[in-house]
This record gives sequence, C-alpha cells and structure tokens, in this order.
Amino acid sequence: MRKAFVAITALTLVAFALQFILAAVGGFTKPAGDDAYALHSVNGMVVIPVLTVLTAVFAALAKAPGRLIGLAVLPIGLVVLQPLIATLANAFTDASGVSTPLGLTIGGLHALNGIIAVHVVVGVHRAARKLDEPVPAGAGRLLTPEGEPA
Amino acid sequence: MTTGSLLAADLVIAVLASAAWLGGGAASAVRRRPLALGLAAVALLATLARAVTITALARAGWWFAAEKVLIAAPLSLAAVGVAGPRLLRAPGDIRAVAVPLLFAGYATSSALLVTVLHGYPASAGAGLLAVAGVVAATLISGRALDARPSRTLSRVAVVAAGAALVTGTGLTVASGAAPGVPHDHDYPVARIAAEPTRRFTLTAGTATVNAGGRDVAAWAFNAQVPGPELTATVGDVLEVTLRNRDIGRGVTLHWHGYDVPNDQDGVPGVTQAAVRPGQEFVYRFRADQAGTYWYHTHSASDVGVRMGLYGVLLVRPGPVTGLDVTVPVHTLAGRPLPAPRVERAEAGVPVRLRLINTDSTTHRYALAGTAFRVAAIDGVDLRGPTPLVDTAILIPAGGRYDLVFDAPATPVSLFVDGRAVYSTGAVSTVTDAWPVLDPLGYGASAPVPWSRFDRTFTLVLDRGLDLRRLLPRYAHTVNGAADPDIPPQVVRLGDVVLFTIVNRSQVVHPWHLHGHHVLVLARDGGPATGSPLWLDSFDVRPGEVWKVAFRADNPGMWANHCHNLAHADAGMTLHLLYS
Repeated sequence: MRKAFVAITALTLVAFALQFILAAVGGFTKPAGDDAYALHSVNGMVVIPVLTVLTAVFAALAKAPGRLIGLAVLPIGLVVLQPLIATLANAFTDASGVSTPLGLTIGGLHALNGIIAVHVVVGVHRAARKLDEPVPAGAGRLLTPEGEPA
Repeated sequence: MTTGSLLAADLVIAVLASAAWLGGGAASAVRRRPLALGLAAVALLATLARAVTITALARAGWWFAAEKVLIAAPLSLAAVGVAGPRLLRAPGDIRAVAVPLLFAGYATSSALLVTVLHGYPASAGAGLLAVAGVVAATLISGRALDARPSRTLSRVAVVAAGAALVTGTGLTVASGAAPGVPHDHDYPVARIAAEPTRRFTLTAGTATVNAGGRDVAAWAFNAQVPGPELTATVGDVLEVTLRNRDIGRGVTLHWHGYDVPNDQDGVPGVTQAAVRPGQEFVYRFRADQAGTYWYHTHSASDVGVRMGLYGVLLVRPGPVTGLDVTVPVHTLAGRPLPAPRVERAEAGVPVRLRLINTDSTTHRYALAGTAFRVAAIDGVDLRGPTPLVDTAILIPAGGRYDLVFDAPATPVSLFVDGRAVYSTGAVSTVTDAWPVLDPLGYGASAPVPWSRFDRTFTLVLDRGLDLRRLLPRYAHTVNGAADPDIPPQVVRLGDVVLFTIVNRSQVVHPWHLHGHHVLVLARDGGPATGSPLWLDSFDVRPGEVWKVAFRADNPGMWANHCHNLAHADAGMTLHLLYS
C-alpha cells in the first residue's frame, strides 16, 4: 500500500506539472479565447481532483502518520479553490467584459495558489517515499519479513 | 455596492471563512497554538461579515440568498456553536480543539459547495447531502487524530450521516427528470402563399477569408464573412434559399429579432431539421417590420456563428436618404471585424449608423465628433430620443442600435472598444472615460399598454452541476436545470406574459426570446422611465433583476435562451410553447 501511495503522489505531481504546461499552452494560443484553456480546465477540474482525493485515500490506507494524512488532504482544498478563484477573477470585469485591476489581482492568486499546491504535493511525495524506505533494523518496525529481500 | 459585487464579495468571504477554520484545525492538530487561535479569530470575523452580506443579499431578493439563509447560515451557526465554546475554554493542549475547528471548516466548506454546485433552488436534498458530508468528514478526522468520542456519540453520528446521505440522495434523484421539449414532433408548416419580391441564395461552406490582414479559416455564406447583406423594403416578400455545401454540423437561418412565423425561425430540432451538406431549405416571409436585424445559423450556433455564419438583414421603410452605414461587429479568429472604413460625408448630410453586435459578449461603442440620437434599438424606433454628446453605448450580444446625426463639417469617428471602425476623417478623441447611456431612462415615456398579466414566469440564471447526462458538466442553468431538462413555459394565444429574469451568477447573460419583442418594465425594482423599449436582446448583469412583458401573438414553439452562445450550448436554453 505504501508503494501505491508513492506511485499516486508521483502521478499527482506529473498531473500538476502538466497543468502548468497546459496553462502556458492556453496563454500562448493564438487567437486567444476561452477554448484556449479547455485542456487546462479538464485536467484541473477532473484529473487533478481525482488524483488528490486518491492521494488522501492512499495516505490513510498506507497507515501514514496523522500529520502526513493532513498534508495529503490539504491539496484537495487548494485544488477546489482554483476554479473558484478563476471564476471570481472573471467576475470582476467591467460592463464590456474587460479585466479590472481587482480582477487581475484575484487572477494572480490563481497562480500563487497553484504554486502552493505543488509545494504541498512535493512534500507529500517526499514523505511518502520516506515512509516506503525500509527502516534500518533496530530503529523501528520491519517492513519486509526477515530473510526476504526488501 | 451592487448586488453583483455583493455576490462576489460573499463568495470571497465564504472561502476565507472555510479556509481559516480548516487552517485553524490543521494548526491545532500540529500544536501550533498562536497560529490556530489566530486563524480561528479570522474565521469568526469572516463568519460575522458573512452575516452582513447574506442579509444584504436577502434584501436584494430572496433568489440571491435562499440557500445561504437556509443551508449556509445554520451550518455556520453550528460551526461557531461547536468551535466557539471549546476555544473560549482554551484548553492547555490546543490539539483538543482540532476536531471542533475541523468540523467548523467542513460545515462552512460544504455550505460553500452547495452555493457553487447547486445553489438555486435551495433544496432539502442538497442540504442533507452537505450535512452527511460534514458528519462523515468529522468522524474520519476524529479517528485520524485519535480523538475518540464516546461510543454512543460516534454511533449516533454514523446513523445521522447515513440517514442524511440516503434521504438527501433520494430527494435529489426524485426531484429530477423534468419533461423537456419533445424533439420528435412534426415541424410547423404555415407557408405564406404570396409571390416573393426579393430572392436570395445563401450557400454555406468552409472558406478562407481575410480578417485584419490575415487569411483565416472560416465558415461562410457565399464565401464571405459577414454573409451578403440582405436588404428589403417594408411590404416585400423575401425568399431565401439556404444551401449547405460542406458544413458537417448542419446549418439553418435564424432571423435574429425578426418576428417571423414559427416555421421560418430556423431552430434545428424545434422548427425544422438542420440542413445537412448537399441539402437545401427555402425560407419565405413578409418583411413587415422596418429596422436593423441580422441572420445567423442556429445549428451548432456557438461554433457556427463564431466561425462566420452570419450576416445583416436590413428592412427599410422606403428609399435611402443620406448615408446609411451598417457596422456588424464580430470577432473572427481573434481578429476584430469589420475592417476600418473611412468615407467623406458632405456637411449636413443625414447619417444613420446601424450598429450590430454579432459576438457573444458586450461591446462598447463611442461616436466622437458629433452629437447624435439613438433612433432605434433592436429594430424598433424609440419615442422622443434626445441628442447625446460624449456618451458611450453598450450593445449586448445580438443587439442593434441605430444612431442618427447630420454630418458636421468636422470629422466624426465611431470607436468600438477603442478601435476606430467607421470615420469621416481623423479624430483623436479619447473616449474611454465617457459615461455610458442607460436606455431605460432615454427618450419620452409612454404608458405600459397592459395593466394585468395572464402568465408570470421567473427565470433564475445560475451555474450548477448537471448530472443528468452521460458525462457530468458544470452547466449554465435556468431555475436549477439545464437544457434539455428545463420545463417549457406554456402560454395561450393572446396572453400577456410577464418574465422576471434574475442573474445569480458571476457573468453577464444576454437574454434573447425568439419570435417576440419584449417591453422592458423595470430593472432592479426601478421602473423604466424613458421611451418604451421593445427589445429582443438585453444584458442581464450579475445581481440584476429584469421585468419584461410581451403579448403572446405569434403561435409556435420558440427558443428562449442566453445569446452568449457558449452558455446556450452549456444548458442555458429553454422554450416558450403555445398550448
């Protein structure tokens, strides 16, 4: 189960990296339009939420310590926040749909929140790998039965 | 503060409250005492602030506040009620308040999710599912933090969560499946017998056209974007043959704002079948309304219109006098159309600028260098329009404004979103700071022709989760449902019908009823004080409440939808039916 936990955090990390790439794809698509961010939206609202929920579930199944489970749950909240921030940024436009400084400030938080989420996921992934490492004999519980390779 | 910004502010505060409760819970779980207490204080302040925003929203209209009063308020009170006393006792080990703080966080977050995912109408089902989620999350957190409650308490909680989950799911499923519009009916046929006096042929096909100096791929009528300008004089009978060469998604012609008989309205699946490649369809109708209109495909309308399947329909009362200029604004492949045009105008020549917005979003128009009057909106003449100077105009998606003035000796220039589109010479005026015309207070008023209404309908526009399809989607909804599950509005011939249109969402919805012009009665409780406004396209901004009325005098089945066509595609379409 710990191996699965490591694997799912790695997958989540890949999905996050992809999300930044897709944001760049949206930003550089010409002509710009709402469609430009279609892939970013799908990855962000379907793939990443599923992976973050799985991360939290596998953290619990892997019997990770409470603090790590808490850390694994955190990205779910941050990920749910992302489309909300994007909606709010779009809400603060003027009557003809042009961005306002307030809207752009809120839009900036979308990127900031994304960076925070990635850091948390990196932290979870590191902790998951540490959890999976065999503990030296005498220092704690053995992960593999004696006489078998780890 | 407008109701629109109040809605946004309330959302921000709700997010802040949830995040602060959850953060406080996490901080106390890892024994960060000052951080936990600080975040809990922020959460309490945000909860207080929310009481203010929710009260203000309830005063603006129950539609805006229903689920916040009925679901978010009790959950927030439970949050404060559980977390507050535990914090006041300020235990020696801060970890003891972790579960109460997390409970508060789950309660406020689930209320937030209700608002975002299925806010209107407030339903017992959504409320119970939220409660089930809160209890389940709290139980799991309690276990993870080894804060084991008494056996009885946890048993009661498990039973409560289970009961809430089952009842909530049951209520949600049972409330579903409203009958949509029957799409397998026969199409109406009421062809007029009169011989056509104006004949046109429009052939839809893929084409490469020039937009802003670049060749771009487009879908075009007769290989041009916009399509040919169709002109007629009042009394003409138009016959338009539509052919589809190679548009795989099908095409139709909808005469936007022209109140044609139902069988000529061009809505695929409702008034006719879409015209497939190689097929044709002949439209015939009498041009009995003078004014500025446009036509566009209604098959795959979002992509179809965006790619260029639109054109101008002009019906004049008589021969042209002076300069008569059409300015159909569009964005094709990210490039603004039409190309800037400069022509000379002799001083004193009467000029009529027919401004048309064929995009899905509002555009800002500014006419610099002359005073002008708004002669007509959406094809209908205004009563007693007064001269305007240095005033900008916002035209909703699909809307048209006719501006008239006598050409001065000095140049004039029309700017669309700051770009000069039509001018009689160089004008360097900056128009960004001009005030915007409010048509509800422009021109001379006249009494409303009706004193009572036979039918009243309320349309609450929002976003919400639509689970009634193979793939769930975050739809644009009307009264909590998305096309094709929105029940049709049924009227009888001769009824006077009142629509109350409420925008609960964070985006503008340009509303468009087919087959009828509606008379604007009021916006946000304030009556329209200017010229009678007979509109077919009007922007309902976030937080706004419009009251409009019309006489049901054009039998058939009519689309009634948001003219931000992406929103219409994403569920914001319903139908008006004559019984």
